[in-house]
Amino acid sequence: MSTGRTIYFNPSRAARPQPENAGFERFMWYFMRISGLLLVLLALGHVLIMHVLVQLAGKQIDFAFVSSRWGTPFWRIYDLLLLLLALVHGVNGARIVIGDYVRRGGLRAVLIGLLVVISVLWVLLGMIVIIFFNPATAPRVGPFS
Amino acid sequence: MTLLAGLQTRILRYRISWAQLAWAGHRLSGIGVLAFLFAHIVETSTVALGPGAYNFTQGFYRNLPARLGEILLMAAVVYHSLNGLRVIVMDFWPRTTVHYRSLTYGVVAATIICMVPIGLIMITPYAPWGGR
Repeated sequence: MSTGRTIYFNPSRAARPQPENAGFERFMWYFMRISGLLLVLLALGHVLIMHVLVQLAGKQIDFAFVSSRWGTPFWRIYDLLLLLLALVHGVNGARIVIGDYVRRGGLRAVLIGLLVVISVLWVLLGMIVIIFFNPATAPRVGPFS
Repeated sequence: MTLLAGLQTRILRYRISWAQLAWAGHRLSGIGVLAFLFAHIVETSTVALGPGAYNFTQGFYRNLPARLGEILLMAAVVYHSLNGLRVIVMDFWPRTTVHYRSLTYGVVAATIICMVPIGLIMITPYAPWGGR
């Protein structure tokens, strides 16, 4: 029955059918849908606030704007949740796309490994900045001041 | 439409359906938003280097090409969200897959309808009526 590559009919044509066996792939299948649902609120909310409401209010995104926004724990938690969900959702999607186009096992492992390493570094950078940012101790002078 | 269909059969040997375009669009918008997210994390992190550095990096966004890119990014997020909702609905309520064609048309139409006012608001500072 199986001839190496599974051909299936998926009427949604925008994703893959639920993996039959319990395990990592099925967990990620559910994760993509649940995080996707949350990201519709978080990511869409983020871009609508930052690009539409800020524009309508006649404000500008600068250091003072970020300082006052991250002055409340609500927006720090919002941004932290958005960062983690969006990055894991996006990186898992990229992993699936790489797996679909790169059929050679070795090259595929290298590309996915590289993707995961870079993503871990980026998520750490983002988390450190969101959690520890303090406008009072941020340098007032520097190469760009 | 007949010319487009003729080109499709001549070049690709088959006609592209809306379902295939929806699938390709979902991947393309997803990869695009992820690529921007990586850049956005670095650019936002310069806030830790103080107002001089952060206000400098934000300056990259204050021109027309960047604003057009932001509108494209917005369209990618809106499309990926709406099409993702369609995928979730069809995965968890399989009976809705019968209507996948009209649901796909609905997603494309809703994306365009949402992007008209959003695009107009976003382009305003650079438009003749915006006055900058």
